[in-house]
Amino acid sequence: MSHAGKLIVIEGPDNVGRSLHTRLLSARLKAHGIATHIIGLARSELMGEIVKSRTADMHQLNWRTRSLLYATDLHDQIKHEAEPLLDAGFVVIADRYTLTPRIREQVRGGDGDWIDSLYSNTPDPDAMIVLHAGPRRLLNRIMFGESLEALNHFEAGMDLALSSSITSSFLQYQKILRNEFQEAGKERGATLIPTRHTVQEVHDRIWDSVRPVVEHMLQPIEGN
Amino acid sequence: MSKKGILIAVEGMDGSGKSTQAKLLYHWLRAKGLPVFHTEWNSSKIVKQATKIGKNTRRLLPITFHMIHAADFADRWAQQIEPVLEIGGIVICDRYKYTAMARDGSRDVPREVIEDTYSFAREPDLTLYFDVPVDVSFDRIAKGRPSLKFYEAGLDMGWTTDPFESYRIFQGKVSEIYSGLVEEGRIERLDAEGTVAEVQSRVRETFDKNIDLSEVEVIDQSDRLAQNLSESEIDWLTYSEGEGR
Repeated sequence: MSHAGKLIVIEGPDNVGRSLHTRLLSARLKAHGIATHIIGLARSELMGEIVKSRTADMHQLNWRTRSLLYATDLHDQIKHEAEPLLDAGFVVIADRYTLTPRIREQVRGGDGDWIDSLYSNTPDPDAMIVLHAGPRRLLNRIMFGESLEALNHFEAGMDLALSSSITSSFLQYQKILRNEFQEAGKERGATLIPTRHTVQEVHDRIWDSVRPVVEHMLQPIEGN
Repeated sequence: MSKKGILIAVEGMDGSGKSTQAKLLYHWLRAKGLPVFHTEWNSSKIVKQATKIGKNTRRLLPITFHMIHAADFADRWAQQIEPVLEIGGIVICDRYKYTAMARDGSRDVPREVIEDTYSFAREPDLTLYFDVPVDVSFDRIAKGRPSLKFYEAGLDMGWTTDPFESYRIFQGKVSEIYSGLVEEGRIERLDAEGTVAEVQSRVRETFDKNIDLSEVEVIDQSDRLAQNLSESEIDWLTYSEGEGR
């Protein structure tokens, strides 16, 4: 299935800078005269609010049920937003796509292949980027920014019982996630980019891997 | 028990200025880019509710008061204090187990009982006792107020029915226990008279003298700014490629 537009996927854990770089990429493409649209997890009109407002309930569910709810959420966006817009020549940027829902369940004992099968009819990304950072760096960002209270029980992987301390659990959990993201990313031909550098450096590296895909669509940025 | 991280406690009477000073110390360390966390006595959500009921219905007795405060502390110890120490961070506790010794001790809870309850809480690397004359702290708290709260004044002990008189008796006992702890060398006396700035420079001086920060990892500038950076915008018109590298 080919379309006029392009699908760019940016994956990675929380606090890695994913949403920031999604926004910057979108702004840059727009500056080059390209219409863009952003999709992501828990953003659909059908499921978004439910998933976001009932995090604790979601985590009580069996992994298959939870995977299906997330798959419903993403498919709602794909059918109503991504596919029509890709046909119309938009660049659609996914701030998390099919990788996060799989990895999150896989580390909790879910069947990764079964979860992948839920997404077998989704459009393939034209470019895929996995942002990563060391667990301690992510923790420092949380501690210095929103403080420790912002550290989510599940984001810290407390349900995996790796450690009774939320910080140690976070460090171990994020280490596992990072490995999974890197491995899955490599397998799917993603560009792996560490976010220990400045915002601009990271953005430039993202642009390097996106540019070849959208080259033919770029218009020069002009002043008034 | 691990001795990772740096644990700082501030102690003193109500009105001694310790909370203001603790916050200033926190901001000073934070400005240095250090991983630092600040926590206050009786602030954990779940316990606060029970304390409120107990106070309103005047059901709290010295031993239940002791236990409920310990529950609050144990909650913060597990959720906040230990996790930060474990990653080598600095924790500033606005009141620590010495407050229990002083207050619960004034309510005749035996010291051994208090020590046992709090045996999981290690001795801090530095405990500053903000020492001001009892009259000064009394005036700061009591002056201009029509009355004092029942437990705050220690009226539950039945020393007297006059709230202000009761508070004075209570604070006298608290002060005496604190002085004993200073003598035992468990807490460090700090002259807390003077302006906020004067006291803070004494705090920093004492801190520098007692605490070695060389083992504490300084957080990268960009990670400190991560939240601000997340709102970054770039002016694409003047943006030159590869500038970042």
